Amino acid sequence: MAHELNFLLVNVVNGLVYGSFLLLTSLGLSLVFGLGRVVNFAHGAFYALGGYVLISAMRLGFGYWLALAVVPLLLTGLGLSLEAGLIRRLRTRPEVDTLLATFGLSAMLVGGIEFLWGTGTTIVKPPLGFDGIVQLLSNDYPFYRFVAAGLSLSIAACLLAIVQWTPLGLRMRAVADDAEMAEAIGVDRVGLLGQVFGYAAGLAGFAGALGAPIFAVYPEMGLSILIDSFLVVVLGGLGSLKGSTIGALVVAVTKSIGGAYLADWSTALLFLIVASVLVVRPTGIFATGRTA
Amino acid sequence: MTLALAEIGRTASVRRSQVIAAILCAIAVAAVAAVPWVAKSFTVTLLTEAFVFAIWAMSLNLLSGHVGLLSFGHAAGFGLGGYAAGYFAREVTADLLASLLFAEAVVFVVAALAGAVATRLSGVAFSIVSLCIAQVLYQVAIAWRAVTEGMDGLLGVPLPRLLGVTIRNGAPFYWLVAGLMIATLGGLAVLLKSPFGATLRAIRITEVRAASIGIDVRLHKWLAFVISWMLAGVAGALMVFLKAGTTPMSLHWTESGNVLIMTILGGLGTVVGPMIGAVCFVFLRDFLTSAFAVWQFVFGLIFVILVIAFPSGLAGLPAQLRKLSWRSWS
Repeated sequence: MAHELNFLLVNVVNGLVYGSFLLLTSLGLSLVFGLGRVVNFAHGAFYALGGYVLISAMRLGFGYWLALAVVPLLLTGLGLSLEAGLIRRLRTRPEVDTLLATFGLSAMLVGGIEFLWGTGTTIVKPPLGFDGIVQLLSNDYPFYRFVAAGLSLSIAACLLAIVQWTPLGLRMRAVADDAEMAEAIGVDRVGLLGQVFGYAAGLAGFAGALGAPIFAVYPEMGLSILIDSFLVVVLGGLGSLKGSTIGALVVAVTKSIGGAYLADWSTALLFLIVASVLVVRPTGIFATGRTA
Repeated sequence: MTLALAEIGRTASVRRSQVIAAILCAIAVAAVAAVPWVAKSFTVTLLTEAFVFAIWAMSLNLLSGHVGLLSFGHAAGFGLGGYAAGYFAREVTADLLASLLFAEAVVFVVAALAGAVATRLSGVAFSIVSLCIAQVLYQVAIAWRAVTEGMDGLLGVPLPRLLGVTIRNGAPFYWLVAGLMIATLGGLAVLLKSPFGATLRAIRITEVRAASIGIDVRLHKWLAFVISWMLAGVAGALMVFLKAGTTPMSLHWTESGNVLIMTILGGLGTVVGPMIGAVCFVFLRDFLTSAFAVWQFVFGLIFVILVIAFPSGLAGLPAQLRKLSWRSWS
């Protein structure tokens, strides 16, 4: 019995750790959608690229933490230039065109990763001083997971605070609420979307790098988290940050517990949950009328 | 008087263009049928694959091009039909009609359920949910080892038999696939000309107005979804017979991407576009994978260029070029 309980506890904690990463990617996805109606299929590729940039930076002799700081800078730059070169051109086209373009972009990035870094799986060691074990109700649990989860949760909290309490966030919320009205009162909507797209890419890359010592690095790593993030934002309501936050928690914990007891069937279970939510509320749990 | 003359002139020209179209169709069908006699056996195999993909791309086009529900998980019906037909052929009987019937029944049941959920949505949400549905089937194909044999895949599917005659690979199977492809093309052309087709187009243009003139939007989206999956199931079953087996990769998202690129390459919302796209795709991939190591990158690049520069696909290219001569690049 105690053993059973321990098993459950470890899986709930694992789920919460994964959820903190899922939160970072989902918030980015949700923000970009809310602002520009852009569904970014390449978001997962940014996540994967984060892990690979970390590996390369460490091979160049950077320490883990320094490499971790370099990743979001590079990825933000990449995101900004891709938005300016590609996404912005499709702004006046139907929504699905950006979906298709980012889908192609995702294939290009993953293909590029396989070309530059190979198709294998790379394991990244946790940084020195953080590679220990802590006791979790008589279970050994890697200390780094707590550190990483804490870090990503605080960054997510900062992000939510920025959206809620800063002038930048105010503009973002204005555009998400009513883009035309926001433009009419002088918000540079195009520039803002470009900025947010870049930050979201940086955030996804950061999540990929931070998670590297936990989930390992491989070319397809972006896809699984992308699909989970899609589930999160559909569940929570496209464009709703509150929905994404709760959705990330639900998806990650369900996946972790389901994975422990149902093995490969857990994804099917997750989809059934999302499907039943959509049957009751087709726009997701927290979608507001206007952003739906 | 002049009006009547103009009317006569127009009917005559309509009749003439119909005759020309009929002759062109007959020539095309004859050319397709003659391929095994003139082409190398490798080309015949490649073309067989292309025509299977053509059926699949046409099924996607029905849903995405004509109803406007862009599916990112169209590998679902294809892979599912393949597994069902392959399993039935291996475990029960290799009779083609029986296997197809069984596959269609399975695809119908799953499509009816998945469609009931997915067609509640439109636009981007539909795309995402369709991707999720396909990923679930992919996971099930890996997990349900008793039936699917997991990651190893369902292997050793026998050659199909039609009315007691075994259809061997090469020319006989090519003719079967080509016949089914042409029948699908014709069937869809008729379907899209019918009131049902007009209803689907109305839904694509605007769901709200379609609903306000009394169209049951949900029902028609669901019908299109189920028909589309069942056609994809036929293609999937044929592919399993062609390859003598299937793996979970047939349900993978990259396959959904492949069929999407074929359809867009040919032209979403056209009739012959998906077939042109599928044939181009198969030969291009064959050429590129032997020429380049990184097919995926090139694949993505083609995708991006198509979306930016040629949104109406190959079938829309003549019209686009005509427009170009009037207007310079904007």
